[in-house]
Amino acid sequence: MKVDLELTVNGEAVGISADPRTTLADLLRDHLGLTGTHLGCEQGVCGSCTVLVDGHSARSCLMLAAAAQGREVTTIEGMASESGLHPVQEAFSRHHALQCGFCTPGFFATVLEMMSEGVLADEAIVRERLSGNLCRCTGYHNIVTATLELLGGRP
Amino acid sequence: MTYVGIPVPRTEDARLISGQGHYLADLAIPGMLEAVVVRSQDAAGELRSLDADEALSLPGVRMVMTAADLPESARAITRSFYVLTPQFVERHAVEVGGSSEPVLAAGRVCRVGEPTALIVATDRYVAEDARRLVLADVDPSPAVVDPEAALSPGSPLVDPAVPGNLHGRFDVVVGDPDRARENAEHRVSARFRIARSVGSPLENRGVAAKWVDDTLTVWSTTQIPHVLRSYLAPMLGLEEERIRVIAPDMGGSFGGGVYPEEVLVPLAAMRLGRPVRWLEERGEDLMNSRHSRDQLIDAELAFDGNGSFRSLSMRILQDCGAVNPFGITLPFNVASHARSVYRIDHFRAEGLCVLTNKTRNTPVRGAGRPEAAFVVDRLVDMAAHRLGMDPADLRLKNLIPADEMPKDMGMMYRDGNQLVYDSGDFPDQVRTALEASGYQTLRDRKPRSDRHRIGVGMSCHVEGTGLGPHEAAEVRVDTSGKIVVRCGSQPHGQSHATVLAQVCADVFGIRPDDVLVRTGDTALLPFGGGTFGSRSGVTASAVVRIASEQTRRKLEELASDVLEIAVNDLVFEGGRVFPRGVPDAGLTFAELARLAAPGPASRRPHDPGLASLNTFVPPSVTFSSGTQVAVVEVDIDTGMVEVLDVVVVDDCGTILNPMVVDGQQHGGVAHGLGNILLEEFRYDDTGQPGSVTFMDYLLPTATDVPSITVIHRSHPTPLNPLGVKGAGEGATASAPAGIANAICDALAEFGVEVTEMPISPARLLDLIDQGRR
Ligand code: FES
Ligand code: FES
Repeated sequence: MKVDLELTVNGEAVGISADPRTTLADLLRDHLGLTGTHLGCEQGVCGSCTVLVDGHSARSCLMLAAAAQGREVTTIEGMASESGLHPVQEAFSRHHALQCGFCTPGFFATVLEMMSEGVLADEAIVRERLSGNLCRCTGYHNIVTATLELLGGRP
Repeated sequence: MTYVGIPVPRTEDARLISGQGHYLADLAIPGMLEAVVVRSQDAAGELRSLDADEALSLPGVRMVMTAADLPESARAITRSFYVLTPQFVERHAVEVGGSSEPVLAAGRVCRVGEPTALIVATDRYVAEDARRLVLADVDPSPAVVDPEAALSPGSPLVDPAVPGNLHGRFDVVVGDPDRARENAEHRVSARFRIARSVGSPLENRGVAAKWVDDTLTVWSTTQIPHVLRSYLAPMLGLEEERIRVIAPDMGGSFGGGVYPEEVLVPLAAMRLGRPVRWLEERGEDLMNSRHSRDQLIDAELAFDGNGSFRSLSMRILQDCGAVNPFGITLPFNVASHARSVYRIDHFRAEGLCVLTNKTRNTPVRGAGRPEAAFVVDRLVDMAAHRLGMDPADLRLKNLIPADEMPKDMGMMYRDGNQLVYDSGDFPDQVRTALEASGYQTLRDRKPRSDRHRIGVGMSCHVEGTGLGPHEAAEVRVDTSGKIVVRCGSQPHGQSHATVLAQVCADVFGIRPDDVLVRTGDTALLPFGGGTFGSRSGVTASAVVRIASEQTRRKLEELASDVLEIAVNDLVFEGGRVFPRGVPDAGLTFAELARLAAPGPASRRPHDPGLASLNTFVPPSVTFSSGTQVAVVEVDIDTGMVEVLDVVVVDDCGTILNPMVVDGQQHGGVAHGLGNILLEEFRYDDTGQPGSVTFMDYLLPTATDVPSITVIHRSHPTPLNPLGVKGAGEGATASAPAGIANAICDALAEFGVEVTEMPISPARLLDLIDQGRR
């Protein structure tokens, strides 16, 4: 049995039929070839798979693709525009906020959500908000710096 | 301008920030099947049979491979990850057995998680369904879980071939430790318990393989592609030439080796004639991969009333798990780093490698150095307390002075060379850390409430980095005029593409953008070492430098020949070679590359092309060092510890790219912080693992790790062309001890002495309670 799905991914309408137990992450990665969304635990803890669904961060490893029916999904592949990289991409690179880059797509979704909510550029608040995403490489130092800058805080 | 030493932005980033990385799970080979591994649920027992019939009959399942299906040569991984010289063995009384890790369990199981079968199916969902249908008939036997009990007479044996469960031992004696101890006025001692932790990169392991035209291509999340190839060739009965190992982008690694899945997946692909991939799950990674630490260390520091250290002695019990391909590596790393930056002329370290029914222990970031620093720096603080001295003053009193460098430590390193601290200025490093952290005034900081206490702690470390045996690189002038670097060491976050380009660019007088760095593929060049043990900055940069210089000489020769100008009168600038003062008269690298191309008109018929393949064989390791000061706040009602500040002073010799090095320090501190406050992989007393999700095995998050200040005090080493010393692990070595000392300082009124890693809030509360009584 398959379910027919219609959703928007990175601004493009997608119509696809998939096994009902397909997760959103597998739909993105395996069916749509959007492998920028990473799977680090598939247990909802590490945050690598975080994407935006209707502008809100969501763990795509826990969410079934069927639950994204009719909704708008944004992944790392949808961040840059014709005018260039998104400021989040630029800030992370400039501040060396990624080493292996595996956690990066998930952090991007979390930071994009923080920016759209207008989260205060306060280190304690930022650390709290980032604490749902694990990074084993950077010690978070540069991720926090980049995020504070993006939120309008100290560079 | 030159590029070594400046924060050149990373070339890797463009790909990684736009979702275009190529990690193993992103590989899409047409017709690829997916594999899952069936694993033992029992820690020990006889494996009577494995019934896979039902699994095999599930639609979509293509194969179930068990031990009986393995060719003789591929039944076990029998090579060890070390070579010990006879002199080393004799000098330090080393005894160590061979190692044989079953690729699939046969006849018996010896740990939970041990692979018993491989299932290959059309997709992962089907393969996982099939895994539930494989029935193992195991007659369980008592598991050996406690390493001390493992050594007691009458303990069951983990491996019938290893009597008494003692797989290896050594005894290091420097000076006359017994006499020094007898004559010393004071002694402090403790038993230190360092828990098992897991490397836990964010990407799990994975292996894929295809067998096409009698050639095997293996993709693996490996740190050592060439080494893996050399393991696979005899096991699969293939020439190395017919095996290509590719390490794609990797989501961290932090330690490893060669694993059974790296043999199983290629075998399955060869047998089925279809590409096969296995992607590890997080639970498997936590249970099976990159376990480390897990030592019980009894240690004693003897010293005089004026604070001079006399002797250090220790007995290191290493819980190796069920197999031990790393031999004495880990406990010997403790022994060879235990005296840290201190002058301790009399030293004894006895190491015991014990087998238990657990996952095998491997070197993970730090690999013995965090344990060593934890033990010695906790003892130093205990000694300071005994003498009523400030721990910083006691350290300063006992540091090896700069004018004693290079300092022979009176024992051998594991590579068979004499252990010599080659460079550094420890007193300057420690004083810098004290000043930068504002040490004198830190304790005046006000805690946030009257149930909070502030504490300051300090720790130092040394690290032998840049281990051999070799690293290889080829540097070639492309016909486009760009320079191509191919290197046998490959990254999993360490920025090779950026840093090696900086090293090469400086030799040719070009920009790093004009250098193309290629790594992670055995097809690139015949040899390669890999990335482990803080070695790439040292060995890869050295060999890239050497190969670049040799290729530059070929360019020079050719340009001199064509332009009829002496080599000494040639200038390299902007990808061109020209006579000094006559920039228009020169040739571009591209033109020179074409002139050197093979053919009847070649200007270099004896050595066509402009390339050089070189190796670098380091004389021995080079010692980086560091000092950390940590400030913590402890809640005495909950036992919760918050790390407020960490200052790192690091000496990694010549800094290739400060941005990258600082990033390594930040990550290293976080890893060490996790080790001391959070990370513990638990087994119950039947050998069942208890930490198989990130909810049970806690990694530090952004709220656990503070902002980190990194200061460099560089003393380049004479042991390699650029003066580089490793930077990848040092911060992990000092962090646990520094934080532990800060906790003890905060809780001095309760007489708390932290002797275990990690120290949980519950355990701290116990210690506080004991102090209150
Ligand atoms: S993969 Fe989804 S939270 Fe880890
Ligand atoms: S950069 Fe490697 S896990 Fe974050």
